[in-house]
Amino acid sequence: MTAPAIETQGLTRRFGRRMAVDAVSMVVPERAVYGFLGRNGAGKTTTLKMLLGLIRPDAGTARVGGVDVGADRMGAARKVGALLEAHGFYGNLSGRENLDLTRTLLGLPKSEIDRVLEVVEMTADAGRRVAGYSLGMRQRLGLARAMLGAPPVLILDEPTNGLDPDGIADMRRFLRSLPERTGATVLLSSHLLGEIEQTATHVGILSQGRLVLEGALARLKAELAPEIAFAVDDAARGAALATARGFEVATADAGLVARLKPGEDAQTAAAALNRALVEADVAVFSIGARPRSLEGIYRDVSSPSSAAQQPVQPQPEFA
Amino acid sequence: MLAVLSVEIRKLNRSLAALLAVAAPTLIAVFVFFNMLRGKQPAPWDMWMTSAMGIWAFFMLPMSVTALTALVAHMEHGPRSWDHLRALPVARWKIYAGKAACVLALVAAMSAAVLGLTWAAVELAAAIKPQLRPTGPFELAGYARTLAMMFAAALLLIAVQLWTALRFASFVPGLAVGIGGTFFAVVATSAKQGVVLPWQMPVNMLATEAWRVNTALGLGAGLGAVALVLLVLHLSRREVL
Repeated sequence: MTAPAIETQGLTRRFGRRMAVDAVSMVVPERAVYGFLGRNGAGKTTTLKMLLGLIRPDAGTARVGGVDVGADRMGAARKVGALLEAHGFYGNLSGRENLDLTRTLLGLPKSEIDRVLEVVEMTADAGRRVAGYSLGMRQRLGLARAMLGAPPVLILDEPTNGLDPDGIADMRRFLRSLPERTGATVLLSSHLLGEIEQTATHVGILSQGRLVLEGALARLKAELAPEIAFAVDDAARGAALATARGFEVATADAGLVARLKPGEDAQTAAAALNRALVEADVAVFSIGARPRSLEGIYRDVSSPSSAAQQPVQPQPEFA
Repeated sequence: MLAVLSVEIRKLNRSLAALLAVAAPTLIAVFVFFNMLRGKQPAPWDMWMTSAMGIWAFFMLPMSVTALTALVAHMEHGPRSWDHLRALPVARWKIYAGKAACVLALVAAMSAAVLGLTWAAVELAAAIKPQLRPTGPFELAGYARTLAMMFAAALLLIAVQLWTALRFASFVPGLAVGIGGTFFAVVATSAKQGVVLPWQMPVNMLATEAWRVNTALGLGAGLGAVALVLLVLHLSRREVL
């Protein structure tokens, strides 16, 4: 049993009368790629800034790499490398010179620069002034800077911003491989569902400042109300029938997608609904259970009316 | 602290702040050079040096500090690098103290450049027109001492301008304070009250009345040192949202 790489308890921050982050208790297990999802303005950046000790919480605590950020900011900062939305590079200096400034402040050997440049494949362009870099190159340079000194925790705010499709795919592969290659834990903030779904092993969803869902992505997909797709000849009648039998109907365009209740056995439910459809003379061509997509999960838990809009407690299986 | 200072100095490489630090004293030297070539009779060294130091203290120093602090602060505000710097395992007071030390070093270097470049301009003009070679002694120690006093008296001005430039991400507050302060310093040149204006304190080092020199030097250097410490403490404790 290892300590979480990042752990917060009741982290809260207001800006005037606006509650930006509301009692967020999150747990990021070691060596996870944790996708931190939420709309723009949901409180992701504020949470990340509190984890980095950039702003103080009104209430609650945050631990990074086992160190309390509030009590020992410097100790926590030694455990983390960050790529923030604003890169903060000096355009009058080259990529290598920019990295060298951070390397000097961290007291690392010069060889560290070559190592991280190689990792992000920026060695050839490192001598050019940053003012001439594309957004994607700045993003990779930012990642290189975050990795200086091989910190055990990486906090990356929208790391695929500005990358072309090939760059995005490379970045995803790179981030997925990081825990295995370096033992690092990655906290990845994004508002792009597809990016998180393809990259993260764990996910936390923030809505209106509250953490409304958290867990291992595979487990969430399997456990959270799976869906059964029926290909039928009369989707409208089939949907009405399914609704009457207590199913939540997700879509009824080309066919019928019935959503199960959490914990309901998919086979039993599918057989029951199939029987009902056939008995009502609705022709069923195929039946297929499918795991929930992250988008579906996200829509469910982040809608203001969702019952899931209650702050989650840390999941014991992460510990 | 040495690492922070080294980083601050390296940030100036190819920067506008470094260009300004060279350009401002050079402009004074260029002015003295052409002014001397216009002359018919030789003048004493003291006249050329006092003229250069007067321009520096009266106008160029306050305006250069205004522009320099704005440019140095904008190196961080522009690319929004405060978050990166403040997230590093480096004491925040060191980041701001390094920034202040860097600006002080630049102003000190500019003061020295006023002395060196003015000497070079006068020598060059004298080489072109030997009949205008300045008379009297070149009192290096005396000129250096006056420039050093101007620098010390400018500490409060530097602290006010640097705090404004670092505190506000926009250029506007720093420029408004600097231009406004220089304007009032110029219009209040002969007023007794002018001596307490930070932007007028350096030029008072050329005053003939001892009380003016002592008051401006005491207030400028003393309050300036305190203000610089307060600046570092305030900015390092402040949240940058």
